[in-house]
Amino acid sequence: MRTKQEYLIRYKDGNLYCELADIWIDPSKPVKKALITHAHFDHFTFGCEEYISTKETAILLKERVGDNIKIKTFEYGEEFKINGINISFHPSGHILGSSQIRFIFAEEKWLISGDFKLQKDQTCKQYELVKTDYLISECTFGLPIFKWNESNKIANDISKWITNSPEKTSLLFCYSLGKAQRLLNEISQTNFKGNIYSHGSIHKMNNIYRELGIDIKDTIKIENKKKIDELKGSLILLPPSLSKGSYLKNFKNIQTAFASGWMSIRALRKRSGYDKGFAISDHADWDGILEVVKKSEAKNVFFHHGDSEALSKYLVEKESINVLLFGK
Amino acid sequence: MSLKKFSELFGDLDSINSTNNKVEVLKNYFLSNDPIDNSWTIYLLTGKSNKRFISGRYLKNLFSQIYDYPQWLIDTCYLKVGDSAEVITLLLKNKTNTKKTKLSNISLNELLSETIPALSKLNEEEKNLEIKNLWETLPEDNHLIFNKILTGTFRVGVSIGLITKSISKLINIEEEIISHRLMGDFKPSIDSYEFLINKNINLQELNSKPYPFLLANTIEDKIFNSSINDFQFEWKYDGIRMQLIKRSGNVSLWTRGQELVNESFPELVEKMSYIKDDFVLDGELLVWNFKEQIAFDFSILQKRINRKSPTRSIQIKYPIIFIAYDLLEINGRDIREIKLENRRIELEKYFSKWKIKTQNNISDIFKICDLIFPKDWPDALTYKEKSRENNTEGLIIKKKTSIYSSGRKKGIWWKYKVDPMQLDAVLIYAKGGSGRRAGLYTDYSFALWKDKELIKFASAYSGLTNIEIKELDKWIRKNTIEKFGPVRSLKPEMVFEISFEKIQISKRHKSGIAVRFPRITKWRKDKKINDADSLENAYELMKKIS
Repeated sequence: MRTKQEYLIRYKDGNLYCELADIWIDPSKPVKKALITHAHFDHFTFGCEEYISTKETAILLKERVGDNIKIKTFEYGEEFKINGINISFHPSGHILGSSQIRFIFAEEKWLISGDFKLQKDQTCKQYELVKTDYLISECTFGLPIFKWNESNKIANDISKWITNSPEKTSLLFCYSLGKAQRLLNEISQTNFKGNIYSHGSIHKMNNIYRELGIDIKDTIKIENKKKIDELKGSLILLPPSLSKGSYLKNFKNIQTAFASGWMSIRALRKRSGYDKGFAISDHADWDGILEVVKKSEAKNVFFHHGDSEALSKYLVEKESINVLLFGK
Repeated sequence: MSLKKFSELFGDLDSINSTNNKVEVLKNYFLSNDPIDNSWTIYLLTGKSNKRFISGRYLKNLFSQIYDYPQWLIDTCYLKVGDSAEVITLLLKNKTNTKKTKLSNISLNELLSETIPALSKLNEEEKNLEIKNLWETLPEDNHLIFNKILTGTFRVGVSIGLITKSISKLINIEEEIISHRLMGDFKPSIDSYEFLINKNINLQELNSKPYPFLLANTIEDKIFNSSINDFQFEWKYDGIRMQLIKRSGNVSLWTRGQELVNESFPELVEKMSYIKDDFVLDGELLVWNFKEQIAFDFSILQKRINRKSPTRSIQIKYPIIFIAYDLLEINGRDIREIKLENRRIELEKYFSKWKIKTQNNISDIFKICDLIFPKDWPDALTYKEKSRENNTEGLIIKKKTSIYSSGRKKGIWWKYKVDPMQLDAVLIYAKGGSGRRAGLYTDYSFALWKDKELIKFASAYSGLTNIEIKELDKWIRKNTIEKFGPVRSLKPEMVFEISFEKIQISKRHKSGIAVRFPRITKWRKDKKINDADSLENAYELMKKIS
């Protein structure tokens, strides 16, 4: 067995790094070359000399970082070479443009899962199963208490939540990129036919999704927050950052909810301060992680992005899978 | 009507914050449901009984056994969720049969009066099989309720007040009446529900029930602007608040928690029945130190409470007394609408009459509370400071012109508690919280110096704000020395001001002292651990008090 230093991909300064290609994956500090799995803020940073991603991620990234960045794009499945290593992006089903990244070097396959989910989502490409020798997987929801319901069931619950309080404005908090668009797509297929408004940050992302050919409902941009109290029976999508601070104090006639996988736990729901929680996530649940680990046929697995202790122990004990620890 | 509707109600109540909306939801639920299911609903929501059929631990073990699931994994999940019933509910997901069964539409009544009680008649193996069967055939939406009822942990953010309000709205009768009807024993049945929603008020109906208790509010500064002569002053005893009722010759003792406790205090029941009159008294039950004429500590009283049908020797070892401070009803006449000062006159009058008529036979177990007469507010403060000397918690201040209403009405009764004792201590252990605080480290242990060593002296859970809890949680995770299961030992660095009510010698603790009601009153970020108090300081405090 090789030492940690000899792994093709390892942790360096808290980030995933491939020394042989001198390339970083989703780095949190400015570097020369960065592979970006998707355009969520915790997966990229400003100031890298060069970014490499899928086409959709590149467009979203430019929206967030600025037009003048140097960025190279590749199609899903298209292989490119850096220092003799074959690299390719594969759909991870997390949000539009999100990808897993595969490295092949000397017949050894490495796969970085990126953030992923197996559930259906009409606003992005379905997760693709990729076989590998080494798997580096996220495990945000790596406990068996996390098991997602079908997203159309959640959408129906949201629809009922809005229509049961016609005298109130319903404020649904969700991440502005990905979650908001997925919810829009799902909610427009329910019985709720009222108006949907969205905050500027969400509205912007909606437009990009639509330009990239994703079918989501038109929403009205919230121009004047003072009017929110008057929008009885309507749904408003807002980013979670607005639920803190003084924003909500302006309104009397509202009900609030948060759409997040964490909301499946009652204690977290109660503590969140929202009236209601809808457990819907763009990450894999416990069964999803186990399925990917098994079907990927990886002999060696690493976890990051989450509390991996229990998951690792379970895989070692119950599934006899070799789970390794990165030396951080 | 089905259990499903009750599960929905639980979900709704859990996610509605506004009181008015909760009342509305409850009202509509009662309107659309069977009386018998409504009756069970009230029984569960008011926490009239939370009988535990099996323990949370048993539930977790059973799941582990049936589904060959590692126990440690369930325990890890528990740390995140903080409630055994909910953990198992979440883990059970997708294990249920989706086929329609006769349990798909089981009513709340069937579940509570047949299915669950039937479990206790089975031997262990049969019981386990039956629970598995129920898990796999009950619709998934009902699992949480089922598991919570099994483990006796059913709780929801609904007070008796809310139930009272919604019933009162439903039938358009004053809340006071509903609240009185809800007092005491509540046996779920069609009759008990119909009695509750009966539009005709019949005063006889309430014969066996205590009146809703009037509660004191914490003192507010504005009271010091009123004249001292407007108030009646009493010591605040640290006992069990109780209504002592004698109607049609029968004596009953009702606690504020609405438990009938005649069996625990038979000597009191017997002696009070010597009195000829009928009455309802409001007062406090204490274990009494007859030599010094003061109450014993609550810890001594606790030894008495826990005994049902105490033997004669226990009765002698822990002699009780009932100290009445109010007379609410006399010979069938409800006098709660009379002013307090006049009720006091009645109380004194009857007390001396009863003493004479029973030839002092009742004096060793029953008395009325002494009044205190401070000259002015500073004098009242002096009395308050002296309250530890006679083992009371401070003063109760009652408006002389007030009537006896129900609940925690403002401006009628005030409690003026003696200031707590305080020590600065170092945080040394933290443990994961449960319930709403699951997933956070919220149970803390604190230590004092003994020479160069930190000795644990108290544990506390309350006092920090949510923001502070989160901040401290982060710190705890970064400054853990060792983990023992759910407990972490911590780098000694953080100092907190701990307040408590009582301090006494204890052989059971390594520190040699025990404190009552310890709580965090300040996060002393300004202090280093060397500034924290020592055990010696604690002993000095103890000396100063006794």
